[in-house]
Amino acid sequence: MFVFRRWLRKRSGKLPAAMRDWTEPGTEFAQDPQANLKLLEKTFENCSDVVFQNVKLPGEREALLIYLDGMVDRQLLDQQMRLGAVARDRGGAPASPGKLAEELDSRLGTGGTRTVNTLGEFAKGVMGGQVGVVLDGEPCILIVGAGRPPSRSVEEPQAETLIRGPREGFIEQIQTNMALLRKRFPTTRLKMEPFTVGELSDTKVVVAYLEGIATDSVVLEVRNRIARIRIDGIVESGYVEEFIEDLPFSPFPQVLNTERPDVVAAHLLEGRVAILIGGTPFALLVPMTFWSGLQSAEDYYERFPIGTFLRWIRFAHLLIALFLPSVYVAISTFHQEMIPTNLLMSIAGAREANPFPALVEVLLMEITFEALREAGVRLPKQVGAAVSIVGALVIGQAAVQAGIISAPMVIVVAVTGIANFSIPRFNFAASIRLLRFPMILLAGTLGLFGIGIGLLGILIHLCSLRSFGIPYFSPVAPLSFGGLKDVVIRSPHWAMKLRPRLTGYQDPVRVPEGQMPRPGASGKQGNQGGGAP
Amino acid sequence: MKGLGTLKRCAVLAISCTLLAGCWDRKEMDDIALVMASAIDQLGDGQIELSLQIALPTGIPGTLQTGGKGQKPVLVVAVKGKNAHELIGQAQQQLSRKLFFGHRGVIIFGEEYARRGITEVLDTLLRFPDSRYNSFFLTARGASAKEILTTPYHLELIPAIGMKIMQNSQYTVGVKIDRFLDHLAADGTMPYSGAIRIVKDAQGEPTFQIDQVAVYRENKLAGYLSGKSLQAFKMIKGMGKGMKLTAEVEPKGPETQGTITADVLSVRSKIRAFYVKGTPSFDLTVNVDSRGLANDSTLDISKTPNLLRAEKALTDELNERLTDLLTLTQREFKSDVVGFGRELHIEHPKAWKKLKKRWTDLYPEVPVRVRARVHLERIGRTQAPGHLELPE
Repeated sequence: MFVFRRWLRKRSGKLPAAMRDWTEPGTEFAQDPQANLKLLEKTFENCSDVVFQNVKLPGEREALLIYLDGMVDRQLLDQQMRLGAVARDRGGAPASPGKLAEELDSRLGTGGTRTVNTLGEFAKGVMGGQVGVVLDGEPCILIVGAGRPPSRSVEEPQAETLIRGPREGFIEQIQTNMALLRKRFPTTRLKMEPFTVGELSDTKVVVAYLEGIATDSVVLEVRNRIARIRIDGIVESGYVEEFIEDLPFSPFPQVLNTERPDVVAAHLLEGRVAILIGGTPFALLVPMTFWSGLQSAEDYYERFPIGTFLRWIRFAHLLIALFLPSVYVAISTFHQEMIPTNLLMSIAGAREANPFPALVEVLLMEITFEALREAGVRLPKQVGAAVSIVGALVIGQAAVQAGIISAPMVIVVAVTGIANFSIPRFNFAASIRLLRFPMILLAGTLGLFGIGIGLLGILIHLCSLRSFGIPYFSPVAPLSFGGLKDVVIRSPHWAMKLRPRLTGYQDPVRVPEGQMPRPGASGKQGNQGGGAP
Repeated sequence: MKGLGTLKRCAVLAISCTLLAGCWDRKEMDDIALVMASAIDQLGDGQIELSLQIALPTGIPGTLQTGGKGQKPVLVVAVKGKNAHELIGQAQQQLSRKLFFGHRGVIIFGEEYARRGITEVLDTLLRFPDSRYNSFFLTARGASAKEILTTPYHLELIPAIGMKIMQNSQYTVGVKIDRFLDHLAADGTMPYSGAIRIVKDAQGEPTFQIDQVAVYRENKLAGYLSGKSLQAFKMIKGMGKGMKLTAEVEPKGPETQGTITADVLSVRSKIRAFYVKGTPSFDLTVNVDSRGLANDSTLDISKTPNLLRAEKALTDELNERLTDLLTLTQREFKSDVVGFGRELHIEHPKAWKKLKKRWTDLYPEVPVRVRARVHLERIGRTQAPGHLELPE
């Protein structure tokens, strides 16, 4: 510990005090065309994807187009240049770049054409996929809209599959993602505030919320936390998540992530705030509660009894995933009198040839299981099958037959694994997976008493945790009975009349009264509600 | 500790608590010898013998380990000595695994040992943290307790489990340690326990049977209840459901036995205590609701007079049994196993204060009026018995 701290101090002494400023220099263009050209060549030196293309325009004018290969639609560019040239021809005298830009802007369907005066702005534009035009060596014009960065099409999300529900998933391009959201809320109340994060990556981050529904304080907090981020580059949503969490050292995730626009839409309707990030198909949702880690979108798409049943299954499996191995260790090494006699006999019979104490056995198996799972996820699909063969044969059979691991332990670990898979949110399930190990150690040293301590610790932590100011364990602690009908059960949509108490309550009503379908209710009452006639 | 954060301080505290306190009672499943039943016998030379039936997990089939076949599922260890605690230590010296009493289902007293008094073992049981209060007490009859432990039983893997299941069923009287101790400690009632004996099965192999009740007087065995007096005892104790009552309603005919059998549906028994002029007396009321189970007579009990006659016969039969039981406990056992004293205590606490000390001596002479009543709720058939002639 001490050595480590000294090492840390030594290392940190070498770090520069401040972060380097990566913004492009604001050099202005000179009057001399040759000097400008040199400057541009120097700026784009060694950027082999930048194309310098000389174009002869009618009227003996020469234009130099500078753009990124692969980021620009060439056909569109050709077309636009021709249109621009025609525009100039009609005017007779050669137009100044400013005039030309104006003309292009009004003529072209893409819009956003402008002139820039500084090298920095020019370079930034070109790097962002715009086309730079140097007309007769004069200061430059930028054409926006010809850019077409590479992207894939909208596909079904891989990480969150549903049986019933939309098949659209977010993609890496943020514009598409915003469109997917806007498609669901064609209203101006859906606000999408842009931010740019990352000194080098210039990643676009968009904060989306429904105005008037989302709690203002939460929106404000999200804005502040995102604006505060200073980093060289954002590669994935996880980078942002770690900067905006409430308690970075908690084992529980405080920000929800999803690939599904429909999940985002549902959360927006509950008054939550979505954060879209360029370059990743994952959107972040805040504030998160403990219970949303146990909810799947399908709970709301299937009929409510099924949703309720599935929720209960998940609650049970959450407990199993967290406690089964530790309870097994505790009871089989400390409290044998608690096991029914017949069960004890079969466990004892199975453990007879076993050389390891239960604690060591369970740790061995859990670690092997985690390794198998990890290997299965990382391996290429062609090799993946080998993992399951090795796993099933080596652990499932050989270890038991060789008498190294007892059969009940294999069952315990397998059931725990399956239980963990039934938790729908991957990052939430991973935190349960992590917590299992301290629980096993506690159980192996202190028995059920240790499990009690561990459970208490987890509960205390959960009750004190907050996500963007909203208690993590709500609506159970602090208790709000209205909220329980979306936690303990999944009540039908016509019965979930109000938004959650802690988010979206400034406009609480989601569903008016009297929407429960019943014979004879339609036609007479309309949807204004108010009991049967 | 100076300079450490709160978190580290807590961690140091927690680690030292777990490592230094020595509260480490971890015992692996393969380090314990599971005692399934224990038995205590009196030997001729004043020593007592403790036998333990220990389950052998390797003998339990159904696991993946082969080689379990043919092995015995239990092991019986017997040691002789002066007192129970010493005996447990001796037994431990024969075993490589630690004795574990958490799953002991039955404790059997040898008949001779029980007649001498069981106080010492009870004390051991009470002080022994491992023993569970829900083990059953059994008293051996006609055999030593050790013989019963070594008797094979084929329906269950482990004989002790067989005994425990039998004791849990309604066909035997099962008394767990806590109830036994409760009866022993309470004023005005005496303890009893199930009695187990060895019988021969159809192949002539010995097996055990639990069909009697051992009655104690204080801590000493007084005698056994069996047959009809046991039935009467169970009726009073509210365990009569499912019992069969057979009574003669008419003389034995050429084709019929002249009996009617009733299946007891519910029993309500009540003891009322009276204290008049310094002498206690009791009313014992037993109301039985039953249904006709068999009619081996010429009576058609769907007719009201016949039904009443049958009820009368059954009532008489029950009355007789109850009276027999009371005679037995009063004259022979001199043990208030039914619990009349407790009832007197409840109804006449002041009188009880005076009589409490002498109650054991007083009980054999106390008058008890028996009032039984059997009610045939259903005749058990929707039509007349087949052997009765149909009316022309």
